[in-house]
Amino acid sequence: MQDLNIAASTSSPSIQTDWSAGMVRLGGDSYPENAFELFRPLLDWVGAYLGSDHGPLQLELRLLYLNTSSIRIMMDVLDQLEAAHGQGRAVSLRWFYDSRNARVADLAEEFREDCSFPFEIVAE
Amino acid sequence: MTTLDILGLRDTFEQHRILMCFNGPFSASLIEEIGMALRRHLESVSVSPGSVMDVFAVYIELTQNIRHYAREKSLPDELTRATVVISLTADGRYLVSAGNKLFAADGEQLLARIEALAALDKAALKAAYKEQLRQPRAPDATTGAGLGLIDMARRASEPLSARLQHLENGMAFFSLEVVI
Repeated sequence: MQDLNIAASTSSPSIQTDWSAGMVRLGGDSYPENAFELFRPLLDWVGAYLGSDHGPLQLELRLLYLNTSSIRIMMDVLDQLEAAHGQGRAVSLRWFYDSRNARVADLAEEFREDCSFPFEIVAE
Repeated sequence: MTTLDILGLRDTFEQHRILMCFNGPFSASLIEEIGMALRRHLESVSVSPGSVMDVFAVYIELTQNIRHYAREKSLPDELTRATVVISLTADGRYLVSAGNKLFAADGEQLLARIEALAALDKAALKAAYKEQLRQPRAPDATTGAGLGLIDMARRASEPLSARLQHLENGMAFFSLEVVI
């Protein structure tokens, strides 16, 4: 599976994957009109990675504002992680945020409520 | 003698404490451009990062909803025309308002939905939000599937308020106000 290295735009986040390290990094704002189109490659990559027996998967997020369309897709990504976790796969997520902006922590916290895998929210 | 009464327009803006106003067809890139200007403005007047995000989020959901509606109904570009106003309330809170033309029947449904949301407190809104988030998505659906209104209601400091004004040929003008 080819790694993704998508640069951020005004309304879409940077998306980077590293198959050999088992790492996904997302950063920036996400409010495209059609978030599904934007995140499709990421959903596919995560699905392929978790379908392989490669090893642990770690997500490192520095996302700021997400529109509701992006939130919905992000939930699909986290559902993939949750399912893998349920089958004993090592998955984890760390969501970094600027301590001056508590809204980002609130957003991360709402996602965390529906996850049972290791999920850290880290102020920077 | 000028054709446009700028002073009259200015008085209206001053009276309603309007910071930004746009009227016309909204393209995806225009939503971004105006959004960036709005964000920079709010940051420059030292609004807290959380409030900047709330105002921005409501602006984005409102304008994207209007575009999604026009696309869903395959309406002509004329109906992606919308009026969006960012202003301050008398007590200094941000007010995001928007209006657009739609089919009157759709407007009635929307109005009922907003009235239902207005009756919910923050905890009930959160529950409604989580429930909506878990609704199965149609394979071809591109939007947040109705999450937008709930998201706006959660960011608002007052219940959402809406108005439907009937026009000719089964059309209506729908206006929504969100106080942050």
